[in-house]
Amino acid sequence: MSITSLPFLALVAGGLVLYYLCPKGGRWVVLLALSCVFYLSGGWGAGCYLLFTALTTWAAGLALGRLNAALDALPAGEGRRAAARGPERGKRLTVLFVLLANFGLLYAVKYWDFTASLAGGLGLTLPTLDLLVPLGLSFYTFQAVGYVIDTYRGKVEPEKNPLKYLLFVSFFPQMTQGPIGRYGELAPQLLRGNGFSWENCRAGLTDILAGLLKKLVLADRAGVVVSAVIDHYTEYSGSVIAFAVLLYCLQIYCDFSGGIDLVRGVARLYGVELAENFRRPFFATSVADFWRRWHISLGTWMKDYVFYPLSLSRPFLKLGKFTRRRVGGRLGKLIPSALATFVVYLIIGFWHGAQWKYVAFGIWNGTIISLSQLLKPTFSAWRARLDRLGESGLYHAFEVLRTFLLVFIGRYLARGIGFMAAVNMLLATVFRFTPSDLWNGTLMGLGLAGIDYWVLLIGTIILFVIETIQEKQGSLAAFLDRRPAVLQWLVVMAGLLCLLYFGIFREGYIASQFIYQQY
Amino acid sequence: MKAKHWCMMFLASVVLVGLLLAGLNFLVDPFGAFGDTIFQWWSYDETTNPRIAKQTYLETHHGEYDSYIVGCSSTSSFPVAALNEYTGDRFYNAFVYGADMEDTELQVNYLLDHYEVKNIVLNVHIVNTLHYSDPGEPMTGAMPASLSGENPVSYTLRYLFADPRYALAKLDALGEDTWLPQTFDVFDEATGEYDKRLRDIEPIGDLERYFEAYPEFVNYPSYTVDMVDLEETVASVARIKARCDEAGVDFLAVCPTNYVDYLRLYQPEQVEEFFRQLAQVTDFWDFSFNAISYDPRFFYDGSHFRNAVGEMMFAEIYGNDSVWRPEDFGTLVTAENVEEHLATYWDVPEPAEEDRTAQVPILCYHSVVEDPALASAYAITAEAFEAQIRALSEAGYVGVTTEELIAYVYEGAPLPDKPVLITFDDGYLDNYTLAYPILQKYNMKATIFAVGSTFGSTYYKDTDHAMTPHFGAEEAREMAQSGLISIQSHTYDFHQWAPYEESEPVRSNILPLEGEDEWEYADLVAQDFQKSRALLEEATGQAVEALAFPGGEHCELAEAVLRLEGVKLTVTTQAGGNTIVKGLPQSLYCLGRYYSSDALTPEQVVEMIGG
Repeated sequence: MSITSLPFLALVAGGLVLYYLCPKGGRWVVLLALSCVFYLSGGWGAGCYLLFTALTTWAAGLALGRLNAALDALPAGEGRRAAARGPERGKRLTVLFVLLANFGLLYAVKYWDFTASLAGGLGLTLPTLDLLVPLGLSFYTFQAVGYVIDTYRGKVEPEKNPLKYLLFVSFFPQMTQGPIGRYGELAPQLLRGNGFSWENCRAGLTDILAGLLKKLVLADRAGVVVSAVIDHYTEYSGSVIAFAVLLYCLQIYCDFSGGIDLVRGVARLYGVELAENFRRPFFATSVADFWRRWHISLGTWMKDYVFYPLSLSRPFLKLGKFTRRRVGGRLGKLIPSALATFVVYLIIGFWHGAQWKYVAFGIWNGTIISLSQLLKPTFSAWRARLDRLGESGLYHAFEVLRTFLLVFIGRYLARGIGFMAAVNMLLATVFRFTPSDLWNGTLMGLGLAGIDYWVLLIGTIILFVIETIQEKQGSLAAFLDRRPAVLQWLVVMAGLLCLLYFGIFREGYIASQFIYQQY
Repeated sequence: MKAKHWCMMFLASVVLVGLLLAGLNFLVDPFGAFGDTIFQWWSYDETTNPRIAKQTYLETHHGEYDSYIVGCSSTSSFPVAALNEYTGDRFYNAFVYGADMEDTELQVNYLLDHYEVKNIVLNVHIVNTLHYSDPGEPMTGAMPASLSGENPVSYTLRYLFADPRYALAKLDALGEDTWLPQTFDVFDEATGEYDKRLRDIEPIGDLERYFEAYPEFVNYPSYTVDMVDLEETVASVARIKARCDEAGVDFLAVCPTNYVDYLRLYQPEQVEEFFRQLAQVTDFWDFSFNAISYDPRFFYDGSHFRNAVGEMMFAEIYGNDSVWRPEDFGTLVTAENVEEHLATYWDVPEPAEEDRTAQVPILCYHSVVEDPALASAYAITAEAFEAQIRALSEAGYVGVTTEELIAYVYEGAPLPDKPVLITFDDGYLDNYTLAYPILQKYNMKATIFAVGSTFGSTYYKDTDHAMTPHFGAEEAREMAQSGLISIQSHTYDFHQWAPYEESEPVRSNILPLEGEDEWEYADLVAQDFQKSRALLEEATGQAVEALAFPGGEHCELAEAVLRLEGVKLTVTTQAGGNTIVKGLPQSLYCLGRYYSSDALTPEQVVEMIGG
């Protein structure tokens, strides 16, 4: 069920009543039951995948816990090292097994057919599986694997109760689009039985309303033009394509961050605070900064479970030594970390899907970030010069715009219907940019009416104002709370009415001239 | 604000927004789902959802009817007025657009269960066999819960929490409502038919021009359709008939006329099988293929025929011979004669264009003078006039009157090979003193369109302004009784002469004044024509059914009002010939006329109207 659908909201509302009526000790069972209802409403097949991941990682957690205990029990002293070898090996094997099993499953479901097509290109015939990707597979796999590694590292105590663990893997609000939670932060909140709090309720309702507005009013509306143009990009000039990619930036941001707002709002109603996933990414001053503000839970997951282990792995340490010796200087120091960054972004690219365009998307981001590390001294010099021109924030604006431009170009890769399509779209934007198409009526033929463009423009301006307030003053709720009650009420009413008129009922209306044929 | 208060405020706001939406939908009621108690604007509601709104309308109006016509959108052209006249009963056309036979059956069941019914007339269109049960659009095509059996709670909630655009569009339309139908109010509430006041004045004549207006008839698409639901449709008709028989209700099944290329989309053996099976369950009138099928002018599109065809069908069924229709127009098919009917079903010869239409040029004169110095565009010398009439006569033209053209179209009465309609506007006395003797001499018929307010006057209305004298009742009667001249309307007072006119504002033609209320204007036009007709009919004893628009100016609103007042023929001053079509009343509207004066030689006149 879609998280913007009426059944989902009914599930949430009914669930809340059950949750707070239930004694505290049993509240986690209510959450688990709701999660099962939510997940199984999509069919039993997907449930089996989820169960497989939950069971293997739960068992691995238990095994790792036992091995950790065995290691802890070893007496200090000379013999410890030798005695620890067995359990250490056991831990590594356990993790290896779990990683292989779960990433293997992820690979088989999401990436096998891509591999088969690559092999086909090389003349090998591999069978395709054509499996349906179960809901949230990438998200819960990463979350569960994170738990196993945390247990491996001894950072968390393993969960003995398989049902409690299952709740951690399947908590229903975050199943569709994350955020990817950490066991240490999430599990206690899910299991402890939260008391009702009006503060949580306010925060949750605010997030839900904001999320629905972003998704239904802005993202879905922008998506109409995006699909119309990009899926048939050959029919449009560069200016229209650029306009559509610009709208795609708005669409993907509002869809994803709006979805996360909704998810976090729902969780908050149950007293659960999910990890922050977006922090006003379009205010970022560099691409690296952008990725620290965009899909934060994935970025930190990558940092903790890929970047650091990779940078600290034996081959990378050796490489570091080698480059420092042979290349020397700043560059010599940077090469290993740039390489690790590159790998991380390649994985992030691939994480989005099994297509070349995502690989290119990863390379694009990896390259920009690595390059920016190298160019840092140059930019610092510029900045110093501009700062002398005055404290106008001019350089800051330049950084924000520069970052947006780079992200904007990256979006061609992410949204194009394929790698070559993305390249052709970029070429068209540069060489076939016909500005007049932006005002000669072409935009009116893309599925949106004039009023829709106004909604998008005004909505974007409001979003920008809100995010500026958040960027400068922190919470919007706190900002509004200082205003008169009537104003707060008007804001809520305006939000609800906009949601109703421009969001919920955006489609499906048939104007009278289209209803009938007059015979 | 405390968090608790904020949350309460939020939840109250959600409830308030919900109530606002529900209240809006309930009160404005764009689908007619809640009785439309405030606006009672059924033509609007029926346009948005005819299934629901017609049923709601009947809940409070069923006492006005005792008989119902049911079927899909082409049923709209089944004429309520004619059926009332033929049967003496009170019909309501309960058709809904996009209806399949399942919808229709549910409707009939409801009507029989809830109301007193004397007759059910069922349109068994062949299109029904393509889809027996077609889910329509969820909001605009849904059945009322009382018919569909849907849970009334979910039904009510659906319309209470419908997209507010529907309600807002209705409020918006309230401000834009006009006398004539618009896209948002296409139904006639009282009869249930589509409001065709505009459709019925659509000027139609020349075939080529019709193809330009309706390009789909040029290279009509050809593909094959499959009557997949043939048996279910027939079974449904059988159940409808059984219900009617059981309730003692007269049941009449009619298969209406199709455009030939549309019919050809169907597989002949399936069409035959359909009629064969249908004949086993009921007798039915079959009009599906006849000479009319070949003429696109009788169709809006392949499967939707014009009102005129509906009139012909019921004239055939009830034996009204005053309505023209081609020979072998329809057959009453029974189980006994169905094979015989099918044996010749496809043998319908295409009529020649000249057999179904006539080319009628119309000449326009005003005053006739003796003194060449007085000749102008609006005054021809008697000498020139006679020369022109002589030339026309020698070229084989035969003068006809507007009555003869009307009789040709409505009754199929014959016209001469080369008809010409000679007309005079305004009703000057010189038409009687100078033109009439010439017309008598050449035995050339003519029609004079006389203005009512100056009829028989030498002075402009009640003023002292002298003007060209106009003939009065005595002259009019004499000319009319000769059988040569027809006196028709040039309006009573829509041809005012600004320099002499004392009333304000001046109406020099029939067009509405700027910002004039449409309802008041429509009344004014109607009353003006009634006055004009009463005056002229009293003077001549002839029916007044034709009108020349003063100055040639006309508008759809005036045309529609005049048609409802019984005007069957109108002329403009637009130069051009005319094609009039047997059986198609629209072909008599807004006919073109050629001006003639001393500036043209007799030969040029003959050449101008077609040689």
